[in-house]
Amino acid sequence: MNNKILLEVQNLCQYFKSGQSELKAVDDVSFSVRKGEVFGLVGESGCGKTTTGRSIIRLYNITSGNVIFEGTRIAAGTRALEEKYKETKQNGRKKITELKRGGNIREAETAERELEQELQKLHEEIASAKSDDKHCNKKYAEQEMRKVSEHYEPLLAACADNEREKLEKEYKEALRLAKKDRITNKIQMIFQDPIASLNPRMTVRDIIAEGLIIKGIRDKKYIDEQVYKMLDLVGLSPEHSGRYPHEFSGGQRQRIGIARAIIMQPELIIADEPISALDVSIQAQIINLINDLRKELGLTVLFIAHDLSVVKYFSDRIAVMYLGKIVELADSDELFRHPLHPYTRSLLSAIPLPDPVYERKRKRIPYNPLLAHDYSSDKPTFREVCKDHFVLCNEAEYKDYLGKIKEKS
Amino acid sequence: MNKILEVKDLRISFRTANGKVQAVRDISFDLFERETLAIVGESGSGKSVTTRAILGISALNAVIENGEILYDGKDILKFTEEEFQSLRGDKIAMIFQDPMSSLNPIVKVGKQLTEAMLLKSRTGRREGRRDFYRYLKALHASGRGNSSEQELFRLFIRTEKTATRLQNSYKQARENAEEAKARIADLLVAFEKKEAARIQRECLGILRYASTCKNAFLPALSSEHYHALLQSVASGNERPNALTELNSILEQALSEPEPDFFTTAYDAVKSTSSPSANEFEKALSDAIASALTQSHKLHAQKQEAFLPVLRDAVNRTEKEWDKKQIRALVKKLTAGVNDCIDRAQIAKNSTEHTFAGCINSCCEKYFRALVKNRKEQAKFDRQTARREKLIRRGKHPEWKIAPAAITDTDLIKKRMREAIVALIRLYEERRDAIFNAEENAQQALEYLKHKAAQTTARVTKNAAKRRAIRLLNEVGIPDPEKRYNQYPFQLSGGQRQRIVIAIALSADPEILICDEPTTALDVTIQSQILELINKIKRERNLSVIFITHDLGVVANIADRIAVMYAGKIVEYGTSEEIFYSPAHPYTWALLSSVPDLESTGKLEAIPGTPPNMIYPPKGDAFADRNRYALEIDFKQQPPMFQISETHFAATWLLHPLAPKVEMPKAIKDRIRRMKEEAEREQ
Repeated sequence: MNNKILLEVQNLCQYFKSGQSELKAVDDVSFSVRKGEVFGLVGESGCGKTTTGRSIIRLYNITSGNVIFEGTRIAAGTRALEEKYKETKQNGRKKITELKRGGNIREAETAERELEQELQKLHEEIASAKSDDKHCNKKYAEQEMRKVSEHYEPLLAACADNEREKLEKEYKEALRLAKKDRITNKIQMIFQDPIASLNPRMTVRDIIAEGLIIKGIRDKKYIDEQVYKMLDLVGLSPEHSGRYPHEFSGGQRQRIGIARAIIMQPELIIADEPISALDVSIQAQIINLINDLRKELGLTVLFIAHDLSVVKYFSDRIAVMYLGKIVELADSDELFRHPLHPYTRSLLSAIPLPDPVYERKRKRIPYNPLLAHDYSSDKPTFREVCKDHFVLCNEAEYKDYLGKIKEKS
Repeated sequence: MNKILEVKDLRISFRTANGKVQAVRDISFDLFERETLAIVGESGSGKSVTTRAILGISALNAVIENGEILYDGKDILKFTEEEFQSLRGDKIAMIFQDPMSSLNPIVKVGKQLTEAMLLKSRTGRREGRRDFYRYLKALHASGRGNSSEQELFRLFIRTEKTATRLQNSYKQARENAEEAKARIADLLVAFEKKEAARIQRECLGILRYASTCKNAFLPALSSEHYHALLQSVASGNERPNALTELNSILEQALSEPEPDFFTTAYDAVKSTSSPSANEFEKALSDAIASALTQSHKLHAQKQEAFLPVLRDAVNRTEKEWDKKQIRALVKKLTAGVNDCIDRAQIAKNSTEHTFAGCINSCCEKYFRALVKNRKEQAKFDRQTARREKLIRRGKHPEWKIAPAAITDTDLIKKRMREAIVALIRLYEERRDAIFNAEENAQQALEYLKHKAAQTTARVTKNAAKRRAIRLLNEVGIPDPEKRYNQYPFQLSGGQRQRIVIAIALSADPEILICDEPTTALDVTIQSQILELINKIKRERNLSVIFITHDLGVVANIADRIAVMYAGKIVEYGTSEEIFYSPAHPYTWALLSSVPDLESTGKLEAIPGTPPNMIYPPKGDAFADRNRYALEIDFKQQPPMFQISETHFAATWLLHPLAPKVEMPKAIKDRIRRMKEEAEREQ
């Protein structure tokens, strides 16, 4: 695994309107996913882990924050910036009027000029965020087109007349494909419920090939080839391609969902509880399949689940979410060895094991945020307790955690 | 421990457009008192189908082909819908997988909780009265000739009548008091208008009701203070104050719970009876004991006389069956056995009570099967011939031939013979045993008292609400008064499941069936619900059948585990045996396909999918997916091999001639690790 960061999520907020108030489904979440790793996102139902996944793939318009994929901003929200703009403006105006009242006309003028500049800067930021959010795919396509033309222009200039026609045709085709290319194609999602996520009126071939067709590929032979290859990869046979989703069992349906995702040759796969709707005996098949594909295709996986033992088995790093916030983030071994946040500990104590003697003794640790923390005076922030181990805590807790880590090591 | 539920050779299939799906194939298990039996298997293995049959809520296209489910001396599978209604919820309750779909979305939580209690109160009274008289009649019949005993029974009947009378008068008084209270409330509102004539008129009405609610069970309404208040209302002195006080007294009196009428009546009868009060109960119990002894003697004679007939019948069933003769024999046996049943006994023996139904159905099934087998065989031959013809022509027909559904007639014969032999054994055992009249009489008296008390036990709406709130507390719902008036959609998933559990407990069942109660919940809530079920089981001495597909969940809760695959139980043992020394390859596969916190490397997935049960495989159903399958697994179904006293597994690997196969390394390591850890902690 190299340390190149593939996906970066900065201060992601996703609020939903519910009646008069707002529901903070995801509240100020930041993390980054390195290339080639499996990043696990764990939490109970309703904690916002699925919303995070969906926001990254732009299924929702995010409220605030940035999502950066391969160095390109693919989604951006402006709420926080706009609030900052308002605040700066108000504070600046107040300051200027005070200065004016005090008689410092000159100072007031410079302050006004500074404020003006600052506001201008913020305004530009907002504009760029909005434009990135809206046009990131278009910009990416333009970039791709430029690449294509840079590749073909010299060839065209140098080639002989008899080959020119063929080359021109190729160039045109490549340009057309590049124009339809999207950066978000490189992120694909596997959904939880394999029944609900497959269109019952399409055959398996149509379902898997749909992405290619939208991408603009017209070569039927190529499409068929790709579909069969994908079916083979996920352990189905080509004869399955003519059937409809209802003719398959749950595990096979999930395989179709995976084939549909990997045919787009993605860099990142967001697996949203891909196994929780499946039978135990099938779950292992799907876990093994995703694991094999990951190694074979060099995929990066954002794995969302509530089953800790599966996440532990599967992931390199794990983030634990509670009520829209990440409360702890660490390497998976480290997290299970030194769980620090009380919610993580409670979650770990709830894992059932196939061991009757242990189970009879197991004591579940309940978690009540009001009892566990005192955040009345000191608000918690996300801090690094030891290397690559982050916990949401305030100053007092931070010291406590540091002591605990020292004690153990 | 006593068996509370027995499932024997149960076979259930579903009629579908494509053919008959054999969902459950000859499974047998017992449920003991106060234990948790877990049934584990993947979807489609028939675990839910089995439990649904126990409650009589199988799907409409389900056919119960064979078997019995014995509960309380009766075969549940032969129940009518009315009989099922007294069983469901009352004796056996069920918790379903999805709490949202098992609660009514437009009815408040409180109403759904109290519904069963209120309904049960009405039917409980009726059934209590019926059982009371039926049993007294049985005693009466056997104690014929002894006049002092008859007198005692008559006295006991009078107790029940007195209790009913007391209840009726109490009800009347209560109604009057309620009416008076309602009128006072109305009047207090209207008092400000000062219409003298109307007030006078209303007061007279109130007095009429308030003075007629005198009852021994409402002492506050016959006190002197109460009468003084009535006087002042009548005379018109300080009317408003008097009325307000009257109102509060009535309210106080009405909020008292209903008294126990039967105990009062019983005490009254005891004190007025001719033998002295203390001796009354003794005399009654003696009378019952003598009636029981007589009845027992009489029936023992009958049974003794019937034994040769039974022995003869066994011989007859071994010979060729003739339709007319066998039918006559069955008729004779049914009548004879029914005559031999001692109805004065409270404990019902299932062998005796289900005998008639069993041999009747065996007889009918046998002759039906003879006709049907012929037809099925012909159909199968026809299809095979057609297929072969096609193959001879060089075609490759894609369709499969469903194997002919031949019913094994020898098996039916054997079952009938077994039933008769079991009955003979029972009679012989009973002949040798000593009859303890005293103990039986005590039981009978308790039973009678319980039934008589039931005839007057009434659950009012208020009482039901109090109980519902107590139940909500018991299942750990905060703020039960508030939740009582909420709708299911206002609650979270875990709380909904708690409500479902509370509803299941509302009728005090003996057996609780949990059908994947935690599958729709996430890990933290799941462990909370499991803890709750465990706690309730301990506190209420319930027997639990717990269905799940996740072996990890079961370790916490189960005493014994049955692993099901393709409609059969493949392994059966205590929790320790299944987890520490699993024997069947399917159990191995289930255990190794779940990652635990230490597992690394590739998971041992089970390849393929379960077989299509329209065409069940000829040999072991798991053979196709089994890495350890032997050749014989594809040809013949393995029988149940016994490993220890409580541990059984159906795999050929346990046959003495089978090659030695070790369980997969991953599980072996895990078990070793678990054992080491357990030792270290000790």
